[in-house]
Amino acid sequence: MKAVFLMKNTSSMFGLNVGVLKEFTPSLSQRNVTCYPSSMVHLSSLLSKQYHGGHVVIRLALAGHNQANRPFYRIVAAFNKRARDGKYMEQLGTYDPLPNIYNEKLVSLNFDRIKYWIGCGAHTSKPVSKLLGLAGFFPLHPMTVTEAERRRAAALTESSREREEEL
Amino acid sequence: MLQALCSRSLQAARLCAPRRAVVVEVVRGRKSRSDPIAKSKEGRIKTPPPVDPVEMVVLKERYEEYQLIISALRLEFKEEVQRKKYEAETGSMAEERARKEAEEHSALMAWNRAENQRMLQLRLQRVQKEKEEVEQKEFEAALEREQKRQEFIKLKEEELLRLQEEAKHFITLENLDQRIEEALDNPKNYNFAIDKEGRVIKQTVLK
Repeated sequence: MKAVFLMKNTSSMFGLNVGVLKEFTPSLSQRNVTCYPSSMVHLSSLLSKQYHGGHVVIRLALAGHNQANRPFYRIVAAFNKRARDGKYMEQLGTYDPLPNIYNEKLVSLNFDRIKYWIGCGAHTSKPVSKLLGLAGFFPLHPMTVTEAERRRAAALTESSREREEEL
Repeated sequence: MLQALCSRSLQAARLCAPRRAVVVEVVRGRKSRSDPIAKSKEGRIKTPPPVDPVEMVVLKERYEEYQLIISALRLEFKEEVQRKKYEAETGSMAEERARKEAEEHSALMAWNRAENQRMLQLRLQRVQKEKEEVEQKEFEAALEREQKRQEFIKLKEEELLRLQEEAKHFITLENLDQRIEEALDNPKNYNFAIDKEGRVIKQTVLK
């Protein structure tokens, strides 16, 4: 199966705000100094909508739940604690896991913005690292190579066993 | 489409009054900690997948190399981002851009001021015209009122004159006797006859 990459290289942007980390609230102690009676419930830490710690990740998010058995992923920069398909910060590409009529799996990547986010300290998830490795942006992921070797070994043993059975 | 709630909001939802009778949530696994193990899984011992030591060594080397390269890339990208930010703020083009923006701003402000002046002039003229119109109307209204007053006075004067004329023929206490005698001396006959063709006959039997 061929994997065709539709690369999207955009030119550099105007104003950069490298302040991704500015979005994190400073970790103020949320414990109250006064002691409340035990019947009271401390809800503010549960209901606060600011993120306390956490980092940015570049990962795959399932898109478009209008059709069953037809997955489609968006390569997305989002906060670590967010839901997989929830609000993200920026979309950096797409990945279609089902091959098309020419037996290709299409992937699109916005390298400029990926560079920016990694420069701001984003982590990448395993599938995204593998995709980038296959694209040539990152080095090839070790597991890609290992999986290929394993499959090759399995195929060899299968063929040798078949030949023995024939004989 | 059910979205998985994170634990915080889940607890919060449970603590606050739930809006619905059934709390809909995505649950991982059907069983809780205290549920018994299924019959088919009673004697099951979970083992981790077998590891090939040769492959493991090779994999470790590969991973080390990979992580080296990845961290080097990360530093590269970080440096690039910082360089771009620096250039944007204190680069060669930044000052020119700032200057141009300031120029544009001042030009636009000057244009705005000119427009305001123009509108002010137009407004003043318009206000002036309206004032003049109002004055004109007032003047005309005053004239009309004056005219009406004069006409009224004239009418009243005429009436007065008429009354004065008629007053000469009034019957007063001094004239009373005289007028009675006059009336008795000249009896007036108001009888007349008229037929269907409209011929009036003033001469009657009573003289």
